[in-house]
Amino acid sequence: MLELRGLSKHFGGVKALDRLDLTIDEGEIFGLIGPNGSGKSTTINVICGVYPQTAGSVLFRGELMNGKPPHQRLRAGLARTFQNIRLFPTLTVWQNLWVAQNSPGDIARQGFLPRWFGTTRRTRQEIAELLELADLGHKSDELAANLAFGEQRRLEFARAAAARPKLLLLDEPAAGMNSQEIDDLSWRIRRVRDSGVTVLLVEHVMELVMGVTERIAVLNFGHRIAFGTPSEVQRNRAVQEAYLGTSAAEAGPADGSA
Amino acid sequence: MSDFWFEFVEITQTVGDGLLFGATYALIGIGFTLIFGAMGKLNMTYAGASLAGAYAGLAAFTFVNAPALVVFLVSALASGFIGFVVYVACFRFIPVNNHLAALMASIGALFFIDEIVIHATDGSPLTFPAMFEYVMFDLGPYGIRGDLLFVFVVCVVSTAGLVYVLYRSRLGLATRAVSQQDVAARLCGIDVHRTNAITFVLAGLLGGIAGSMTAAAVGVLSPLVTIPLTVKGLIVTVIGGLGSIPGAIVAGLLVGGLENVFLYFRGVNERDMYVLLLLFVFLVFRPHGISGTAIDRD
Repeated sequence: MLELRGLSKHFGGVKALDRLDLTIDEGEIFGLIGPNGSGKSTTINVICGVYPQTAGSVLFRGELMNGKPPHQRLRAGLARTFQNIRLFPTLTVWQNLWVAQNSPGDIARQGFLPRWFGTTRRTRQEIAELLELADLGHKSDELAANLAFGEQRRLEFARAAAARPKLLLLDEPAAGMNSQEIDDLSWRIRRVRDSGVTVLLVEHVMELVMGVTERIAVLNFGHRIAFGTPSEVQRNRAVQEAYLGTSAAEAGPADGSA
Repeated sequence: MSDFWFEFVEITQTVGDGLLFGATYALIGIGFTLIFGAMGKLNMTYAGASLAGAYAGLAAFTFVNAPALVVFLVSALASGFIGFVVYVACFRFIPVNNHLAALMASIGALFFIDEIVIHATDGSPLTFPAMFEYVMFDLGPYGIRGDLLFVFVVCVVSTAGLVYVLYRSRLGLATRAVSQQDVAARLCGIDVHRTNAITFVLAGLLGGIAGSMTAAAVGVLSPLVTIPLTVKGLIVTVIGGLGSIPGAIVAGLLVGGLENVFLYFRGVNERDMYVLLLLFVFLVFRPHGISGTAIDRD
């Protein structure tokens, strides 16, 4: 599905990402974790084309993505959410979703006028489904700027799903969420996956990552330091050191909820 | 008393005419503000390109004797096309953050277009066709010029069309999405270069209508109009608040109305001076313009 080969991103002398290799299989929920500044967000930004990579390559469904602008990557099936919410504030909830419906098949099929000026029954139905997924049906005519924080997060998730991606990149979707909201989010992530979308989850909140992902890669200083199932990763000594510091890891095994 | 009444009618009549003609200023202001809203850049070529569009319409009038309505249509289409060319030449390939380069390029393009027009017309004013110029509506003591009313109606209809496109169609929503959240819009699959180009074409269509309506209301088209129209368009844009379409509409009518007030009291020679003073009054006391903050941008 997604393959990163020797992917590097340097900002001046800072190696935010250093020769990262990673393969994500179709249909899985893959977690990417690591301490602050370990290169997680940089990875997402390079994958979806916000930053050009310094070296290495991004292969998506066997196709080389290097040098392609973000909108082309989206049309190839790569969609994402943002850590700091970036909705279109003066568009309504419904319009935010409508604008984001840029899946490749539809674009090719629709003519200029229906694409830019009309809505088909199918697009309306899809938006209705997304509103239901995000539990925002009652707010569909509200401006995005007027939504509460949690609602904005849900809308951002739905907006990324609106493009009907093959791979959904979630950049810290649980930041600032309470336990109940995290449960809802896990349900939402699983539901999207069950509809045939592969998910790459970049996250700090272990409650979410450990509960929902099937495989995890751990980054530190731009390197991959561990890889495996959630329970394997939790037991990994290098991971404990990275998160808790050397002495804490020596003091005894962590209980897993780092 | 009857003297006062007479004067009152005169003043309100002249303000009314100004408001009707102000609709063309509003349209030009909307064009400037639209592009500023989309890219955060001023397209100085805009008013010049609008008049060049009107010249293309005039060519249709001169060479194939097209009826006035076709002349207006050709003006709009030609101006839309010029808008696209200007986008490609002055904005598309200049780095996003280099505002000064784009500004200078567009000023250069303004003079370039102006020179082409001067060359093609030998710099002399040409008659421009109007519609309903012999119609006069009587409204009590007032008279409404048919051609001015037509200009006003056309401007209102085009503005309504633009507002519909911007706020109700996916095309307009996409351009607004780009102006609000550039990066997010790209990552939602919106091709920013394309929506910017479309914005320029839309603004160009509007400008061609404004240019031909200006020429139709005045009756002649001359290269001498370019600079005053550019200046008035910018004044309207600043007074309305950069990026604000409702602001540009109000400011256009305001400038049109006040212009005729100045004309009435101070004569044609001093008129534009006071209009320019209005600009400085706004820049000093209300730099964000009428609308307070430019809406639709964050």
